[in-house]
Amino acid sequence: MASVRKSGGENLLVRYIILVSWALVCVVPILWFLTIGFRPRTEIIVPEPIYWPTWSLDAWRLLVSDWPIALYLRNSILAVAGSVVIDLVLAIPAAFALARYEFKGREDIGFYILSTRMMAPAIVAVPIFFLFKNIGLLDSVWALMLIYAAINLSLVTWIIRSYMLDIPKELEDAARTDGASDLTILREIMIPACLPGIITAAVIAAIFAINEFLFTLLIASTSKAYTMSVALANFTGGSDGVIYNAIALVSFIAFAPILILVILIQKHLSRGLTMGAVKG
Amino acid sequence: MFPYLLVGPAVLYLLAITLYPGLFAIYQSLFVVKFVNWSWAGLGNYMRIIQDREFWAALGNTAIIGGLSLGLQTTIAMTVAFFCYRDSFVRGWRIVFLMPMLFMPSAVAFIWKLAFNDGRVISDLLMSVGLVSNNVDWLSSIWLARLTLIVADVWQWTPFLFIIFVGALQGQDEEIEEAARLDGASWSSIFWNISLPMMRPIIVVAVTLRGIDITTMFTNVYIMTQGTPGGATETMSYFIYRQGFRMFNFGYASAASVLMLFITIVVAQTIVKRAFKSGKS
Repeated sequence: MASVRKSGGENLLVRYIILVSWALVCVVPILWFLTIGFRPRTEIIVPEPIYWPTWSLDAWRLLVSDWPIALYLRNSILAVAGSVVIDLVLAIPAAFALARYEFKGREDIGFYILSTRMMAPAIVAVPIFFLFKNIGLLDSVWALMLIYAAINLSLVTWIIRSYMLDIPKELEDAARTDGASDLTILREIMIPACLPGIITAAVIAAIFAINEFLFTLLIASTSKAYTMSVALANFTGGSDGVIYNAIALVSFIAFAPILILVILIQKHLSRGLTMGAVKG
Repeated sequence: MFPYLLVGPAVLYLLAITLYPGLFAIYQSLFVVKFVNWSWAGLGNYMRIIQDREFWAALGNTAIIGGLSLGLQTTIAMTVAFFCYRDSFVRGWRIVFLMPMLFMPSAVAFIWKLAFNDGRVISDLLMSVGLVSNNVDWLSSIWLARLTLIVADVWQWTPFLFIIFVGALQGQDEEIEEAARLDGASWSSIFWNISLPMMRPIIVVAVTLRGIDITTMFTNVYIMTQGTPGGATETMSYFIYRQGFRMFNFGYASAASVLMLFITIVVAQTIVKRAFKSGKS
């Protein structure tokens, strides 16, 4: 509060005007889109926008009757959860090695893992499509799971590595003199001590996986493997155009859990998003 | 041996999903692919692509849309972050600033498609404040169409930079700030002379990460503009997608992928490596 008082009344007013305006820019489109979810179709795509619509539950009925929304939800949850599990199983040992061992090529291996994050999905889209086609995994949730895991593996590894670097070495040394093996140390000391990092990594990976669009679009060529993210883009009904009210509802079904997860890890968010580069 | 066993599975997994596709793309780029028929073309695809105006246009569009969008979101994020990082009142509802980032990108694209085009809301609002006199067709002009993509990207991803900048600002030494303030330093001089230099490495990391994601922009183009008008909003990712999965020129799309991969490797080796090295220290 000290800084608030010192920056003076005039500044304070300007400051709050800017902050509140930007907050409105952030939140008003979301609230407006929420109202779209409860409007009848006829009041959405219109020559003149209707600001005070009649409310309706059309979109709910539509979702349940015309689209297998439960299937999309199941696909999303299965693919995302599976990919996060794969990531953690692969990343925790890798992060442990990168954070705690001296070995030849450590820097290069670490950077190689990081650099896979820089690859544009479109670059590998064509080959990945053929790869999954050849092994018969097109249109399958398993393929999505493998892809999401690959997309996020670099960031999960780097986040966990960053948290492991912060754990004081003395803890391990003490255990080691008591005769604990390396794997015991990983299991009994490192993992519990960097649990916030592991959770942060898992949450961020889950968000990116839920959002993934391009690969899902290519691999899920029929609605059998659609996730929420891609199912949205197919909510169009021929001459009726885009079915916005259904899109709005589905997007809020995904938004709610993400919001809750992010509130839980809010303190770790800036560190997680920079893969450990910022110790926020 | 032990550390290699620990790191091995992750590396093998990533190699399978990056090296194999990379090699496959290089191989396929040497053929003209017509469904199951592959006929050898040597460097033919590459010769065609460097003369393809659409390819260069896509590269230029990616740079223009990405550059403007990145500049804008960095400025906004920095301003908002600097104005609120030690404000305990704002901290209570700071999550509001993050919300756009938590929305599925495909849904965000639809929010703006509806606001700009299908629902005419933005036109209507601009008309009511007298900025325009009749309905704007946002897809009719090159710059207006690009603007809609920029707005969608800035709206969704400013929070990403914001939360990183806030984290960095909160980490800075409060006493230095306090001392400068007692010496009569103004708020803007504190920003330019203390906060900004201190944050430089973090800004580099954050802007690099965001810059990489912007250059891969696909979802918004696919949903909002599909490259219209006349290819003015076609990004590199959309170009590859269109060549491969709309026109089924897989060899050609692979050649474009290889070129883009080459650019990525150069960028990763120079900018990113340096950014993360300095970010660590």
